[in-house]
Amino acid sequence: MELGIHNLTKTFGNFTAVDQLDVVMHHGVYGLLGVNGAGKTTLMRMICTLLRPTEGNITYNGKDIIAMDGEYRKILGYLPQEFGFYPEFSVEDYLLYIASIKGLAPAVAKKRVKELIGKVGLGKSANRKMKKLSGGMKRRAGIAQAMLNDPKILVLDEPTAGLDPNERIRFRNLISEIAEERLVLLSTHIVPDVEYVANEILLMRDGRIVHRGTADELIGSMTESVWKCYVGKKEVSRFVKRYKISNIKSEAQGAWLRVISDRQPLPDAVAEEATLEDVFLYYFGEKAGDGDAAI
Amino acid sequence: MLRYEMKKIFVKPMNKIIVVLLVLITFVMGFLTIRDVRYLEENGSQLSGIAAACRLKEDKSRWRGYLTEDVLRQAAEENSHIHSVSQDADEGYQKRQGLTDIRELLNVAFCDYGDYDYYKADSIAPEEAAGLYERRITQLEEWLDADEDHLSDAEKDFLTGQYKKLETPFYYEYADGWTALMDSQYLPTIMIILVVLAGFLVAGIFSDEFQLKADAVFFSSKLGRNRAVRAKIGAGVLSVTAVYWGIILLYSLLVLCALGFGGAECPIQSRYANWDSIYNFTYLQDYLFAAIGGYAGCLFILMFAMFLSAKLRSTVIAAAVPFALSCVPMFLGRISLLSGVMTLFPDQLLRMNKSLDAIVLYQIGGRVVGYLVLIVPVYFVLCLILAPVLYGVYRRA
Repeated sequence: MELGIHNLTKTFGNFTAVDQLDVVMHHGVYGLLGVNGAGKTTLMRMICTLLRPTEGNITYNGKDIIAMDGEYRKILGYLPQEFGFYPEFSVEDYLLYIASIKGLAPAVAKKRVKELIGKVGLGKSANRKMKKLSGGMKRRAGIAQAMLNDPKILVLDEPTAGLDPNERIRFRNLISEIAEERLVLLSTHIVPDVEYVANEILLMRDGRIVHRGTADELIGSMTESVWKCYVGKKEVSRFVKRYKISNIKSEAQGAWLRVISDRQPLPDAVAEEATLEDVFLYYFGEKAGDGDAAI
Repeated sequence: MLRYEMKKIFVKPMNKIIVVLLVLITFVMGFLTIRDVRYLEENGSQLSGIAAACRLKEDKSRWRGYLTEDVLRQAAEENSHIHSVSQDADEGYQKRQGLTDIRELLNVAFCDYGDYDYYKADSIAPEEAAGLYERRITQLEEWLDADEDHLSDAEKDFLTGQYKKLETPFYYEYADGWTALMDSQYLPTIMIILVVLAGFLVAGIFSDEFQLKADAVFFSSKLGRNRAVRAKIGAGVLSVTAVYWGIILLYSLLVLCALGFGGAECPIQSRYANWDSIYNFTYLQDYLFAAIGGYAGCLFILMFAMFLSAKLRSTVIAAAVPFALSCVPMFLGRISLLSGVMTLFPDQLLRMNKSLDAIVLYQIGGRVVGYLVLIVPVYFVLCLILAPVLYGVYRRA
């Protein structure tokens, strides 16, 4: 299985959301990390045939996915960032409906829906209306719909956004569980989510993949070091302006800073082991957290 | 898939309310239609509804059969007799309720074309009354002779031909169930209300996917750009069809069960309301024509609303379309400059039973046709054209 992205560009007027992207993915979990506005959702929508590329193309096993039409969508599962549903439908009806538009025969659909409802932990809520579900339960229904056709390519756009820590952990585990023998593309800006489940991480910025590799490879790719130091209260703002700070822990007299720098920021600064969050900050710098999530 | 698309429509609380509302309105309209049938008893009290219908049926059954020259003579004689012996108008009215339909024909036949005089029958001699059918043709010819520029020769020939084609003598029997159904304003009113309310049912079929943000999953599914779109169109057409025929049949059955099914074979011209009509139908044919025409109009208007729902992704605009297409042309048609073109609007199909006497003709390839006969197939064809256009627009969304 090979999903190839070739010279892919998507522009909206003068704005380039995805810029001449070239990536080839096989099975495994791919974490797509980037700040809001990096072009993650645009890329995913193109992979799901919801947007047509301005230039370039996407291929599945060498065939253009647009030309493949329904044959490609048959092996695709998608959980969009803004997961919409039919509020008056029960969970079971919703999944049966989606199963029908995914082309599952009614008997197969019933069996599969029952199985997935159990798998995502919605067994007791199968007859509850979708609008009555909690945020986490809706997301679980979302992942169930994406899994209905047992997709070879599973695209999950910000699946853990808005979930509480318990739900996030549960969701991550669920993704790990279902990731075998398929290609999962998981987009997020919540670093620990990809750190735990992704085999390979793609760092995306301004519509381009700026780096890719495993978590260790990405950490190893940093040319700067991570330092931990204690500074007085008045010094904090000066450090924030001068260095990339991945964490600030305030105390009565001052604060513990986690600084990313090629030089030791203070003589008593101690070198620390870098994490993926440091990598995120290293590559995306001050822009982290800005931008438009819809792009 | 179709089942779930239908379920999506009817599971919405607002749509459930609309269906209940439509059924309630139908019952109210049915009640009002039935109540409009009146009978004046000898003691001066007035009956209405089913009781009145029973009495009228009894009285009118005397005249059941073909309205031959002899029968017309006899009717005119009896009318004159009642007129002469009755002490006041009320008494006269009471005594000739069984004769009313024939008397009304004399009233309308012996005036100028398009006119009506309630007392005309009282001054018509029996021998004159026997010439009722000739009078219908003469009346038209006099009117056509007086018309200078309005109609072409082909159109005049068509009109005269239609009048001459009408089978005479008329078959007559009590038909107050059909006349209440077809000659009143209730049927078109129900059709307009139905179209406006059904607009809410179908307005969201396509746009809701976007408004609920369910479009991403829908279009990324295997059948999301082909069969699922067809299922949406199917659900729309099926909902419209079910609601339309459900309501129309409910209303028709309410009225006919209460007032009687008799008279279905009477020509519509046997009642003064349709005396001038160029459409040679029986009441049953009139009903089928109006109901099928209404369905064509309803289907077209609501499919157009679905088209806008798909194209503009706006439920609000789509819901406003049925009102705009079924009500606004009625007012615009009053502007003389627009009156001609407005006869081609789909609202005409919703009130065909009240347009049977309208002389609006179209000439196609040298053949003249009444506009009602023309617009019914035209709108069915437009529906057939609209379906693939709607499919194309939505699958590319």
